Amino acid sequence: MSAAAIAALVVLGFGVMLVRRRSLATLLVAAQALLLGVAALLLAGDRPAAFLVAAIILLTRAVALPALLVLTRRRTPEPYLVTPATTVVVRLLVAAVVALVAVAAVPPLGLGDPPAEHGAVALLSLGIAIVVMRRPALLQVLGILVAENGVYLLAISVPGGLPLVIELGVLFDLVLVVTLAAAFTHKIHAEVGTGDTDLLRGLRD
Amino acid sequence: MPRSARGTPTCCGDCVTDAAPALIVAALAAPLGAALLVTLAPSAGAADRLNLAMSALTAALTLALAAIALAASPGVAARGSWYLLDPAGGVFLAVIAVVGLASAAMSPFYLRHAGRSWFTARRSHAVYYAAFNLFWAALLALPLAGNLALAWLLIEATTAASAFLVAFSGKRSALEAGWKYVILTTLGLAIALLGVLVLFVAVGSGGSGLGLGRLDWQVLAQQGERLPGQATLVAFVLILVGLASKIGWAPVHNWLPDAHSEAPPPVSAMLSAALLPTVLLIAWRTKLALEPALGPGAVRELFIGFGLASLLVAIPFLWRPLPWKRLLAYSSLEHMGILALGIGFGTPLAIAGVVVHVAGHGVAKALGFYAAIPLLRQDPSAGERPARGLAQASPPTAAAISASLFSLAGLPPSPLFVSEVMILLGGMDAGLIAISSIAAVLLALGFLGLAHALLEGLLGTERGPRSRPSRSARAIAVLCAAAAVALLALTVAAYALPGSDLVAALMGNGA
Repeated sequence: MSAAAIAALVVLGFGVMLVRRRSLATLLVAAQALLLGVAALLLAGDRPAAFLVAAIILLTRAVALPALLVLTRRRTPEPYLVTPATTVVVRLLVAAVVALVAVAAVPPLGLGDPPAEHGAVALLSLGIAIVVMRRPALLQVLGILVAENGVYLLAISVPGGLPLVIELGVLFDLVLVVTLAAAFTHKIHAEVGTGDTDLLRGLRD
Repeated sequence: MPRSARGTPTCCGDCVTDAAPALIVAALAAPLGAALLVTLAPSAGAADRLNLAMSALTAALTLALAAIALAASPGVAARGSWYLLDPAGGVFLAVIAVVGLASAAMSPFYLRHAGRSWFTARRSHAVYYAAFNLFWAALLALPLAGNLALAWLLIEATTAASAFLVAFSGKRSALEAGWKYVILTTLGLAIALLGVLVLFVAVGSGGSGLGLGRLDWQVLAQQGERLPGQATLVAFVLILVGLASKIGWAPVHNWLPDAHSEAPPPVSAMLSAALLPTVLLIAWRTKLALEPALGPGAVRELFIGFGLASLLVAIPFLWRPLPWKRLLAYSSLEHMGILALGIGFGTPLAIAGVVVHVAGHGVAKALGFYAAIPLLRQDPSAGERPARGLAQASPPTAAAISASLFSLAGLPPSPLFVSEVMILLGGMDAGLIAISSIAAVLLALGFLGLAHALLEGLLGTERGPRSRPSRSARAIAVLCAAAAVALLALTVAAYALPGSDLVAALMGNGA
């Protein structure tokens, strides 16, 4: 993947950290998956099996999962936007620091493709930061997807590609977990009246 | 991949080994079939009975597999392109089978009085059992996975099945616990997956062929020094840090106390006694596979670091007046720390201790969680406060709680006493006297905390009226007797273990 496309992926990841609307954040993650999916299709090129698997992954990650999350958002209407615990500037700074520190701290991964390695590490750490900083349940699911997109960026950059059975297995697990998380989001909303996970802080020692 | 029948001395060894692949398929198909069948059960009672029958079948098949695996030690009973039936796997299969069967047997007692759940009362039994069996199937497949990538996929699958069970009651606190569990372990496993990818590339750069086989445990170990040092180390650290979030090692243990205390007791038993140690087995297998490339230094330090951190975090909580299941959860953190130390030390004595510890902890901890069923039935406030006055209120529950805490505290003749001594002596064997001494002091402190909790729980003034023993209390009395016999048998077995073929087998990766 070109350095510009990887930069675009990271910028989209920052967007998920910053925006307030869940629908917009979902769109940003879908755009990430679309970019990655198209790159995977181009890389698969003339290998029919790899092309087919890349197409399945593209459709699942860029269309089906975002559609599921849009549906979840529709079914969990918020009376008002959840007020972020931190301002946009603080979140931007945290995201930038986390991503930069992670990229600087992780040594070369041995792929011989520094932009992809840095992009993957940046997206993974951004995903973790999003889960920690954002309160709405759906945005935390999107944080997981940003992190998983980072892993997928590395996966498509592996020289010679990954065994297709691993790619499909990882996709299956991702669908399983996101579906479960969507069901949780719905149930939490039904129980608490909002998807604000800040209200889920009863378990403390 | 060549199939090895090494170490099967009897003339029938080969035919048993040939049956292993079929038996593996059957042992995994049984819980999957059960998951499907229970959804067709016409009533809650029928689902209970069907699940119990299918669980007995699953456990019998799995125990047969475990016996084959252990009989073949120090060799490997069977090996294929995606599976491995080795002595280490045999030990874990046996633990998962026993805990799974006991959990299946105790589940009806929980469900009968579970009240409202995520689902309507009519569907709740079927849905619970379906998720339970899927969780069990993924767990059983894990020690059999012959390959790191497959193991990763199975660990992630256990999250999906078990998170739903954690939140089964549908209560706000259970949803919080389930949510934390899904989010934190999925993020952790994403980190581990990055490590798996890095390792896959590293093996490829060493000149190995393409395909899934690159991440086979044996192939990894055979690569040895051909693996690029730095990339392999990065991969190992990422994998171990990622798995740590699922094992519940400190400092990435935040989900563990919540999930264990909010899940239905039979599920808590599965999480603590089977899931955590089995994920630890994968960490252990990764260590054995990459040690030839990395040398013992960094690998050992990481395990010991997680072990000491877990002990340090867990011990203060064992001193606090916690509700029963939360106390057990922090005890799990402590015991995962001890196992990490044992694997980190890596001497034959420490490894013998690890085997005994996994089995002893599994039995004692599962019994403790099952005791929560009659405890919560009799005194629902025990979910929020420490138990008091149990000796008077319900003798069977008190007996089970005593047997469980007595063993978990590591008092002789508990097998955990023997295993902890073996692990600490193993550490001294490895020349790590300071670390072993610190661990010994921490274990002593943990023991005092649990002994204190036990006395407070048994004595003191009871809350609420004394009631007739419930059916679950009678069931727990039977389980308590069985567990006591099993624990004593483990203690006896522990003395025979050092120097045995089994330990010899566990020092390598079945290679």
